[in-house]
Amino acid sequence: MTEAVLQLRNVTKTIGKRNIVDNLTFDILPGEVFGFLGPNGAGKTTTIRMIVGLISMTKGEAIVKGISVRQNFAKAMTHIGAIVENPEMYKFLTGYQNLVHFARRHSGVTKERIDEVVKLLGLQNRIHEKVKRYSLGMRQRLGVAQAILHRPSLLILDEPTNGLDPAGIRELRDYLRKLTREEGLAVIVSSHLLSEMELMCDRVAIIQSGKLVDIRPLQGYKEDPGTKVVIEVDDLPAARRLLSKAFGDSKLSMSVSGQALEIAAERAAIPDIARMLVSEGLDVYGIHAVQKSLEDQFLEITGGEMVV
Amino acid sequence: MNLIRNENMKIYRRPRTWAMIGILILAVAFMGGVMKWDSSRNDGPAPMPQQNAQTQEQPGGQAEAEKYDEAWAQDLAQQNARLQEQLNRTAEMGEEQREWMTEQIKLNQYYLDHGINPHDLTLWSYVDNSAALILLITLLTVIVAADMIAAEFSWGTIKLLLVGPASRTKVMLSKYISTMIFALMLLLICFAAAFAAGALLEGFGGINLPHLTIGADGAVHEGSMISHSLRVYGLSIVSLLMYVTMAFMISAAFRSSSMAIAFSLLFMLLGNTLTMLLSGYSWVKYLLFPNIDLSQYMEGSQPLRPEMTLGFSIGMLAAYYVVFQLVAWLLFTRRDVAA
Repeated sequence: MTEAVLQLRNVTKTIGKRNIVDNLTFDILPGEVFGFLGPNGAGKTTTIRMIVGLISMTKGEAIVKGISVRQNFAKAMTHIGAIVENPEMYKFLTGYQNLVHFARRHSGVTKERIDEVVKLLGLQNRIHEKVKRYSLGMRQRLGVAQAILHRPSLLILDEPTNGLDPAGIRELRDYLRKLTREEGLAVIVSSHLLSEMELMCDRVAIIQSGKLVDIRPLQGYKEDPGTKVVIEVDDLPAARRLLSKAFGDSKLSMSVSGQALEIAAERAAIPDIARMLVSEGLDVYGIHAVQKSLEDQFLEITGGEMVV
Repeated sequence: MNLIRNENMKIYRRPRTWAMIGILILAVAFMGGVMKWDSSRNDGPAPMPQQNAQTQEQPGGQAEAEKYDEAWAQDLAQQNARLQEQLNRTAEMGEEQREWMTEQIKLNQYYLDHGINPHDLTLWSYVDNSAALILLITLLTVIVAADMIAAEFSWGTIKLLLVGPASRTKVMLSKYISTMIFALMLLLICFAAAFAAGALLEGFGGINLPHLTIGADGAVHEGSMISHSLRVYGLSIVSLLMYVTMAFMISAAFRSSSMAIAFSLLFMLLGNTLTMLLSGYSWVKYLLFPNIDLSQYMEGSQPLRPEMTLGFSIGMLAAYYVVFQLVAWLLFTRRDVAA
């Protein structure tokens, strides 16, 4: 297994008596887009700000490529690029001057590198205009440009889709994909927009009230044992008897409407189920696999308290 | 250091900064213009009151004055005669006033002997007077300093600035140094502009004129004008430094730049009034403001409290300086950036 780019160990922030962030521990692997999901006020932004040192940790440790953010802040930051909330830039400077400004902080960012990043993000046409004339989408891109100038191993985007229109969000998503592919970096994205996360991320961590609720991969979830097969037949009790014999009682449940049976099984099991039911003389009206969307899972996990 | 270059870029790429420099140069030009206009107005109708004065003058003074054929010299001689008279006549004069008068007489006599008109405008008069504009420079620098940290908060750029491979201490230091470079630049511009205005209006004729002072030994000394001007500037820089450092601390304390600017200017402008009001209490000497003007120990004028000395003031200023820096540093490096 490759070494984690970022390791969080028992990261805790206490304000007053409340734990805003409570004992977070997880790893981020190279090359993955890691979603950080939670309702508003769950502690996403606080966690991210602790990773980048904007907020001090009450307890715990964030380790970037083996370097502790707490003990060796400056060195750890050479591996991180970040946009915290909106990409605020110096509006009285041009886009290029802004990039020069941020490039100067790192050693070894050449002029060629700046041009390369500008091209990568498609900013070359307007880079010498003042930032105050940029649209929000362009500022967002400039923010990403600023964050990847020094070839970090980890890119942190806090609520990157805030205030972007759907086209802008899509654009950002494409750039992120391109970046992970071309620059091979790991990305942490925080958001409360589920649909966004579903499209963007390889893995998501779900936090609520500062606590880590779950981490799950997104690409593989279709083969998740959590998938259900819904069966509509004329004789439900008979079907139930048959299926419990074949799969065991624990995997069976009646659907909400009471018109269908639900069984925890994979998609591959459907032909077998159909053959079995038909051979027993039952009339089958429909059999289909149901995937729980991330939203369903998310609402289930967080107890449905969130507002999307 | 690159961080300082960054901060400089942020200062000089703002149109505001150039407006400030423009204001400063305009102020110097305006001052020069007023001085020139004022002196030419005095030159014109001067003979008339001169006549009146002469007729009213004591015979002794007039006799003395008639030895000189130029108006300014006659004036000076009369003034000397008058002073001498007063010195002889009034016995109940305070020791200090007596001293001041004798010194004045000596200075005037020196001017007479060497044929120097002290009221003639020379290049140096402009440079000297421009030292008064250091107050303006302080004002402008205080605005910049107060904005330095607070503006990053109001722009929201503080987040990006701090998420970089530089510790907060370094970021703050770079900002402080840039502010100081800015102040230094304004001072140089002011000096140069005043020098240019003087050269333009009066020519380089007076450039070698000595600056006269009465030493402790009671004799008249010639000093070079440039060292005198530099000393006037140097003393003003002390107060500039203190005000700017204070503004910098306030900047670290507030997240809104307008608040920071407002408070810094308020302290700067109200400070002196406040200490004047409180000057009856002896603890007032521990405040910043009565200590900030070190020239009070140079020109023979009275400090606010009789027990204050130059050493005391320097000590107080140093203490305040350290406190300002420390508070600014603590505020800036310890704070969570949450907004």
